[in-house]
Amino acid sequence: MLEFIQTLVSGIAVGSSYALMGLAMVLIYKTSEVVNFAQGEMALLTSFLTYMVLEYHGFPFYAAFPLALVFAAFLGFFLEFAVLRRAKEPNILGMIIITIGLEMILMGLVSWKFGADPKTMPFPLSPYDSVQLGSVFVSALEVLNFGVALAVMLILFVFLRYSKLGVAMKATQQNNMAARLMGIRTNRILMITWGISSVVGCLAGLLLSPMTMQPYMMWDPMLKGFAGAVMGGMTSLPGSVFGAYLIGIIENLFGLYVSIEFKSVVAFAVIVLVLCIRPSGLFARHYVKKV
Amino acid sequence: MKMKRFLVGFSAVVLVLGMAFAVNAEEGVTDTEIHIGQWGPQTGPAAPWGSVARGTDAYFKMINAEGGIHGRKLIHHMFDDSYNPAKTKAGVKELQEGIGMFAWVSGVGTACGLSVVDYLMQRKIPWVGPSAGSLHWINPPREYLFAVYPLYYIEAKALTRYAAEKLGKKRIAIAYQNDDYGKNGVKGVAEVLEKLGMELVAKVPVEKADMDMKPHVMQLKKAKADAVLLWVTPTHAVRIVGTSRAMQFTPQWLSTSTCSDFPLMYKISKGLWEGVIAATFGELPDADCPLLQKYKKDAYGKFAAKNERWGLFFYAGILFSEPLVEGIKRCGKDLTRERLVREMEKIKDFKGIGGRISYAPFDPAQGYECRQGQKEVFLVKCLKNGRYEKLTDWMEIR
Amino acid sequence: MDMKRDYYEDVQLFSSGVVVFWFVLLMIGLALFPLFVKNYYVYMANYMVINIIVAVGLNLLVGYTGQISLGHSGFFAIGAYGTVVFMSEAHFPFLLALIAAGLAAALFGFLLGIPALRLEGPYLSIATLGFGLTITQVIGRANIFGGRQGLHTPELYIGPWHLNSDVDFYYLLIVITLILVLAGRNMVKTKVGRAFIAIRDADIAAETIGVNLTCYKTLAFAVSAFYAGIGGGLYAFVLRFIEPEMFGLMMSIIFLAMVVVGGLGSIFGAIAGACLLSWLDLELRNILSIPYVGQWLEALSKSYFSITGVSNIQFIIYGLIMVLIMLFEPLGIYGFWIRTKIYWRTWPF
Repeated sequence: MLEFIQTLVSGIAVGSSYALMGLAMVLIYKTSEVVNFAQGEMALLTSFLTYMVLEYHGFPFYAAFPLALVFAAFLGFFLEFAVLRRAKEPNILGMIIITIGLEMILMGLVSWKFGADPKTMPFPLSPYDSVQLGSVFVSALEVLNFGVALAVMLILFVFLRYSKLGVAMKATQQNNMAARLMGIRTNRILMITWGISSVVGCLAGLLLSPMTMQPYMMWDPMLKGFAGAVMGGMTSLPGSVFGAYLIGIIENLFGLYVSIEFKSVVAFAVIVLVLCIRPSGLFARHYVKKV
Repeated sequence: MKMKRFLVGFSAVVLVLGMAFAVNAEEGVTDTEIHIGQWGPQTGPAAPWGSVARGTDAYFKMINAEGGIHGRKLIHHMFDDSYNPAKTKAGVKELQEGIGMFAWVSGVGTACGLSVVDYLMQRKIPWVGPSAGSLHWINPPREYLFAVYPLYYIEAKALTRYAAEKLGKKRIAIAYQNDDYGKNGVKGVAEVLEKLGMELVAKVPVEKADMDMKPHVMQLKKAKADAVLLWVTPTHAVRIVGTSRAMQFTPQWLSTSTCSDFPLMYKISKGLWEGVIAATFGELPDADCPLLQKYKKDAYGKFAAKNERWGLFFYAGILFSEPLVEGIKRCGKDLTRERLVREMEKIKDFKGIGGRISYAPFDPAQGYECRQGQKEVFLVKCLKNGRYEKLTDWMEIR
Repeated sequence: MDMKRDYYEDVQLFSSGVVVFWFVLLMIGLALFPLFVKNYYVYMANYMVINIIVAVGLNLLVGYTGQISLGHSGFFAIGAYGTVVFMSEAHFPFLLALIAAGLAAALFGFLLGIPALRLEGPYLSIATLGFGLTITQVIGRANIFGGRQGLHTPELYIGPWHLNSDVDFYYLLIVITLILVLAGRNMVKTKVGRAFIAIRDADIAAETIGVNLTCYKTLAFAVSAFYAGIGGGLYAFVLRFIEPEMFGLMMSIIFLAMVVVGGLGSIFGAIAGACLLSWLDLELRNILSIPYVGQWLEALSKSYFSITGVSNIQFIIYGLIMVLIMLFEPLGIYGFWIRTKIYWRTWPF
């Protein structure tokens, strides 16, 4: 029983980073129907630059982390403004290929600048200290990660529901043309969405970096986050968070009780099953096409 | 249009080749040059191993700066294959058929090597020191392939014996990368434990893409292992050790030569690597071995790129190519592939910066002995700040 | 020339004598090609041709039927392993083994097509992606496939011929590719192809006019998987060694990129995309030995980046080419081709 609870807690712990990546991807998908495969690499670039200023330039933590978030936002703005918006007659597959291309470029830049040796980010909290709840262990960093994921979700919820900008984002997502007629500058909204999403993804990257960093570290969380988001329904923020945690838990339980070799794969098998029953994920309303 | 370009290119190649053949007795050797090829992943997920090729490069440059070998300079051609066998094969063909390599050295990756091994062996091109301790290279032995890297399986045996006999560990487990590298480790551990009448309490496969090590650690913890062998990449090793620490599971960790670069491991694990025992095939980065220090000063100091790190993988590139250089030296002025192979076979107890290396005349009936050069490893323990303590001397394991 | 007056004009293989002429010229060129170049280029051609097969097949699915697949490396792996295992375990001759493996891949394609009936967009991409990952895991687990240690391919005989050089294999590949490409071209010109296109453009409308969605969508998956399977079987013999990790997600992504960069819904596009991306794949590693550019890049790395990571420039360039093509021409290389053609036909007006 204890083992089971421990595994459950571990699943939730790892789910947090998936959830952040998933949230980031859903934000962009909701507004522009682009599946952003560069999401992980955007976070990667920010994390490595943060590492750089901390390690080589001696920035203090309280300066480096806020700067990282600001940089992430600008990175998002920049990519949308300079690349995605320039696409001529965009179609969905074309956009996916553009984000994959961006992924390669960003990954290439990071590996070019930092080489391939594994690194570790200095962090005020040791990733190897643990908090004990009864006889269940969870590392302090993961508690922080969990807190951040929940906080981000709440903030996004409040933001989208009550702020003017958030409502505008929702409007853009629901009907781009109508939103434009109502005086919303949808282009700018898209750019802001990319910025916000980049910040959310960057949080996941920063919270993964204190363990070990190398150029390939964001690929797995990004895929799992994406998978979680799909399971929850690609257009639902709470759904994506729920899906991500579910994947973390399934992986951990399956790894412990059935087969560790197939643990990464089983998540996808479960998703296919879920999708067979609910083609648009658990939380999103299935949109029935009308002719 | 395309055709025309190819024709022009082709005639140029024929001219060049014709001219080259006129002066050469052996492909890849002229009076002043010896061409040696090598692949290594400078990009992609296996890129940390790229420094092997860069190490060889610096080593050859050092030899050239000291006057070369019998008046010939070593020309090193390395290319990046991103750890993708299709690219390895392309690059090997391009270099072999374009410039013409005399021999190939090192070369990272089991799959990459296996995709070209037949190509090289059919053409009787020597290949020295594949940088993977896989059984594939020497089982069955091949006449033109000289392995240097002691088998992963030998390392596993040494570590298991040490854990069981010297440390008195009762419950030994292994976390292994789910590929050829890891499976060779499992094989070694299982053999030793069987001989000792013990059993492997857990074997936990780790996928390269996995970043979350909690399920793996749970398995180890569930098995109540008191010694765990880590047959994984440095990143995964650190994650496993770190996750275990967070779960307050602290067995004795033992690891392969891949993770025996203690200064690096100590740093990226934020100090957790202290106390880990590793097997290693070469001296450690700051050992007071005079030859190693010479390499550090002359090869690394003068020819390495600015931000290169003097680490295990870097000088492993030197270690793997030492026997080739020794063989070429022994050939003297008259250098052909056949002679190189005969001279390499005469190498007995050659000592570079690794263990002793010996080859024997080619005889497949004798098993792999004639082509597996180094059979020795030694064990070290990581101390504070990446310093180390030698636990054993060089020891030969069969 | 582009206006079709009747149905037969649309389905005929060659629309005019000029096309026949160019086609014959191309065939002669392809046949003579290995006689004039170094073996390395023949190898490169083999690699390209295999990618062409996969891209043409994938284009039937993505470009014509409008589905998405991020799992084609799975079918590719089934083809590769199937061929080798049918040959070494069941002692099939090569061509039979290849076709059997292709059919096995097609069966899996059909099975994957069933859940895909209800899915689209990101949902479908995750489902196919999961399939690709699962296949390699399963293969890595099974001992008959050599597990994670990989498999060596047996010697290759077709009847009395022993194909043991790249050139021999090249001719075999060219013949197979020609058959498959023409079959693909014919397929899109017939009822099946029109059904695919109807599904892509408006699936509900297609259904109302009597296109059986279930049948045609799964068929598209199966056919596309068959192409990938054949490609995989041939790939195994180009490398002579296979192991599960070669068939990763990145491979699927590159396949998809070939189709999209080449131009969706066009056989020519798929071929062009496959050629361009596989050429870049193999040749970009030489970028540092280009005169001037190489030195400049090295100097740049020394002052701003790191010299140890300089090879990563190839990824940047690869990505950049993909992004630029997609930004400026949503129809990819095919779009450029059409525009150039129109420009010159109407020149100087």
